[in-house]
Amino acid sequence: MKLFRIFSYLSTGLTYLLIFVGGMVRVSGAGMGCPDWPKCFDRWIPPTNISQLPDHIDPAKFNIVLAWIEYSNRLFGALVGITITVALILAIKYFSHKPTIKWPLVIAFILTLVEGWLGSVLVHTILNPITITLHLLLALIIVMLLLYAAQESYYIEYPDSEKNSKYPSNIKWAFLTLGFALFIEIIIGTEIRGGLQILRKENPLLDSNFLIYMLGPFKYMHTFLGIVILAVSIFLWIKLVKKAEQPSDLVVQSSSLILFLIFLQIVSGEVLVFVKVKPIVQLFHLWFAAIIMGLISMQYCAWKKSQNNYV
Amino acid sequence: MLGKNHKITMYKLYLYLLVFIVFMGIGASWVIEKANASHEIPIVKKVPNFKFTNQNGDIFSHNQLKNKITVLDFFFTNCPGPCPIMTYNMKSLYNDFSSSDDVQFVSITVDPENDNIKVLKNYADINGINDQRWQLLTSELSKIKSLKRDGFMLYADELPQGHAIKFILIDEHGNIRKYFDGTDEGSLSILKKDISNLVKSIQNT
Repeated sequence: MKLFRIFSYLSTGLTYLLIFVGGMVRVSGAGMGCPDWPKCFDRWIPPTNISQLPDHIDPAKFNIVLAWIEYSNRLFGALVGITITVALILAIKYFSHKPTIKWPLVIAFILTLVEGWLGSVLVHTILNPITITLHLLLALIIVMLLLYAAQESYYIEYPDSEKNSKYPSNIKWAFLTLGFALFIEIIIGTEIRGGLQILRKENPLLDSNFLIYMLGPFKYMHTFLGIVILAVSIFLWIKLVKKAEQPSDLVVQSSSLILFLIFLQIVSGEVLVFVKVKPIVQLFHLWFAAIIMGLISMQYCAWKKSQNNYV
Repeated sequence: MLGKNHKITMYKLYLYLLVFIVFMGIGASWVIEKANASHEIPIVKKVPNFKFTNQNGDIFSHNQLKNKITVLDFFFTNCPGPCPIMTYNMKSLYNDFSSSDDVQFVSITVDPENDNIKVLKNYADINGINDQRWQLLTSELSKIKSLKRDGFMLYADELPQGHAIKFILIDEHGNIRKYFDGTDEGSLSILKKDISNLVKSIQNT
């Protein structure tokens, strides 16, 4: 049982790293670093030299740096896939009677397979923008499921964790609203990024700051929804920390962390709009959004657990 | 509430996380930098000296390549085959970069017997070329031939029909950087990106 917990946390952590690596592929423009899938230039180990290219592939497509960035995403993805598979096997072995652990793992496993397949679709459609967004959203769902199952197993091992805490009971809608709003926010965010890319292609010499203004409504929607998200998370913080009796460390810490990260998101978002579109800022802007989603998944699990105290 | 020891472990955890994230940031910046550097276009060779005449009868020489990004091709006005497509594509580039004086376009005729200054001027008018950004050049056939063959390393035996369909990207120092298929839209979109990258690099210095 403890082994399951180790593997579910491990796969959560690795998936987060994978989301980071995937973002790196995106911002460094390495998505087509390997023109084929699953092999790279028809090799299992990408070429390190142009002379290793097979004859039927156009050498003009070869860029060793981009090939290895893209391939490291695939290798790392395979590793994460293996970890999730192990976690699934352990879940079925120890928790087949616990639907809140078994089903998240089963779904996460299936989605991981879909995710791998989407990766191949991306290469074959030469980075279709909708598929790029789907590829990211699936990763987010997977990481939330894994973390949720890990937390559930933690509470089985440490059943007293939320024993003394009492949170308001009528706030389920706030968790759902926050999670849903974040999802939409991330989709709009990727739209902004994709839109920027298209505008940049059509107006190669315009500067990025000006292009963001050309995006118009999307940018305002992103800001508006960001304010909604901030409001709901302040509301949740009040309910879970201020209005609660003996909230657990986990809930207190994650509540403040969420607020802190949202603050960082606002700052980095404004930097992207008003100062400069920096790839590294883009990368962390997305990654922190993914972390916030995970924290909400954890909080929801803790809150649900505490509700059982007085049923 | 949190015990004192507990608090210290909490701070330690956050510290580790922070250090970890800083390392991720450094690693990612390094990768992004590497990726950017890998897009750099190698120098093929320098364009040799030449001195031709443009559609307005003015001299255009290798000195006019300095401090500008140039896209150059070879054509002739009576060409039935690929030239209309090339001119069409060149025109779309000419329009796309109309806001910038840092980019210029040069088309050299391979049929100077027919394409005198007057014919070139007329061709320019038909195609809406109304400023200095697009130069149509002519000279003696032997000079054009030698520039094409020795300067640009392109086939130049059966002119005018046997002219190349390449667009040649030349940087602000007069170096040839890359050859593109002038009739193919895919290679054109790469050319656009490469032009903007080179322009940005002169604007930044």
